[in-house]
Amino acid sequence: MGDVRIRPVNELDIEAICRIDERITGKYRPDVWEDRVVYFIRRDPDSSQVAEVDGKVVGFMLGEVRGGEFGMEEPTGWLEFFGVDPAARERGIGRGLTDALLAGFKKRGAHVARTMVRSQDAEIARFVAAMGFTPAPVSALEKRLA
Amino acid sequence: MLPDRYHDAIEHWRQHNFPDYPKLAEVWPKFFPKDDAFCLCAKVSEDISPDIEIGDDKGKPKALAPKELGPEAAQHLLGQIRAQASTEFGSIQQHQMTLFRAQEPQDKAWALRVMAEELRHGYQMVHLLTSSDWSPVTDTKPEDMVEEILSMQTGSHVLAAFNLEFDSFLDNVVFAAFIDRVGKYQLTMQRISAYKPYASSMPPMLREEAFHLAAGVIPLRRWVEHAARGDGYIDMPAIQKSVHKWFGRGLEMFGDERGGQTNVKFGLKDLNNRDAQDQYIQECAKMLDDLNVRYVRARFPDRTRDEADAIFARVAAGETVDGLSRDDLLRLPDRRFFRRRGEFAFQMVGTHGETFNDVETYVAHVLAALPEAYRASIDVKHWADMQREVVAGTKPLKEAMASMPRLARQAGGCPCGKSVRWVVN
Repeated sequence: MGDVRIRPVNELDIEAICRIDERITGKYRPDVWEDRVVYFIRRDPDSSQVAEVDGKVVGFMLGEVRGGEFGMEEPTGWLEFFGVDPAARERGIGRGLTDALLAGFKKRGAHVARTMVRSQDAEIARFVAAMGFTPAPVSALEKRLA
Repeated sequence: MLPDRYHDAIEHWRQHNFPDYPKLAEVWPKFFPKDDAFCLCAKVSEDISPDIEIGDDKGKPKALAPKELGPEAAQHLLGQIRAQASTEFGSIQQHQMTLFRAQEPQDKAWALRVMAEELRHGYQMVHLLTSSDWSPVTDTKPEDMVEEILSMQTGSHVLAAFNLEFDSFLDNVVFAAFIDRVGKYQLTMQRISAYKPYASSMPPMLREEAFHLAAGVIPLRRWVEHAARGDGYIDMPAIQKSVHKWFGRGLEMFGDERGGQTNVKFGLKDLNNRDAQDQYIQECAKMLDDLNVRYVRARFPDRTRDEADAIFARVAAGETVDGLSRDDLLRLPDRRFFRRRGEFAFQMVGTHGETFNDVETYVAHVLAALPEAYRASIDVKHWADMQREVVAGTKPLKEAMASMPRLARQAGGCPCGKSVRWVVN
């Protein structure tokens, strides 16, 4: 494998992102990823990142800076979706993507980055902890609707 | 914001050339709910190198006024800004023709936003032309430069791609995917411009352009899926023919393949024409590959990703697999196909790179490869006439390359009979 190149996401990365998602989840969901990627491209195409090895996209991380949500007025960099091709893991790709995303957040005025992890996603929890994320003084709450 | 008189001139232009603009505000909350409201204003980025990044004057401070550039460099720069302005306003006129033939409300809303942002880009160019003293470069007054740009119509713009009429909403989408992609390259190259006000204008425009490309690619992705399932309205041959219509015009927007070194020398762009064009071709090929993969997945929904990839690879190599052949998929035409500017102008090369010796056979080949409605246009007839005359030796190649199907209309282009200058005055 060659060197890893991190760069902003673009509309031609969608098929590669679908491929990575499919390798992880077993589901091909082009409509879902088209909607998600276009949302981030539309709002801030420089924030979200992909990782390329030998010209092939092997990882992605989507997020943006927003403020005012849940009463938290400060500009917050939200890390919302990410994935690394299982065949390309253990090469620092997730860290490279995180570093690039967080640097972009900082440049856009955010002093804090936040994300949420489902309790059953232990692997993701380990990854974000390794990236320096710590439990936040907020609670995620839900109510099931019948 | 521009001074009132120029702002009003653009608003006046907008009323006549982009009458659906007010609809954008109506659809914005539904399709762009979290996005900041659209602002018709000039934007600049502070994050620009203060020094010239390429060319003979690399390392020297960037020019803050046209007079700080050499006379020839300033002329090139002025030409770039005028051409850029022409493309921005020209694309709105084209999109407006078929905007409301969009079948999906989302596609229509996206196209509306693209048009509004192109208007902002045109506004940005007018800002550049009117906020600096160009008198050392041209005798034309700023208001006359603005007048000239705003009076252009489809048929009298600087670049051929902006003189073609749209025949259906398919053109809105393929144009966004192919022609806006050239725009992305131009803006990216100009981001290093030795003229700092121009360089500073590029990052905000590029951020908006990223969405414009998506507004082309996403509808195409969905259309090819429907085409594969047989439940859509737009089939692969229709898309392929539209690609044939636009691809050559996109290539020609880069300028002659053999040129562009002067812009690099003056520090106005960081790539020559051929290098930029080569990258563009690669990117377009990737776009079509992705669309083909989406098509194959939809055509064979029970196959795994790896199986579908294998089918695509075999079909792309020329095999027919389970009834799917190379001709069922999209492909980029040869870069020399249907060209009328640049190194390959009027060479008789077919979609797949095959060469023709007989002009009538070639004209028939090109006509068969183009959309039916476009074949009936004055543009195609003009090309065929030029092609025949070049082959017969009755029209010098240089003249044919410079020939436009219509005379440029200067001033008085406003449908209300009042020239834009009238608004400025």
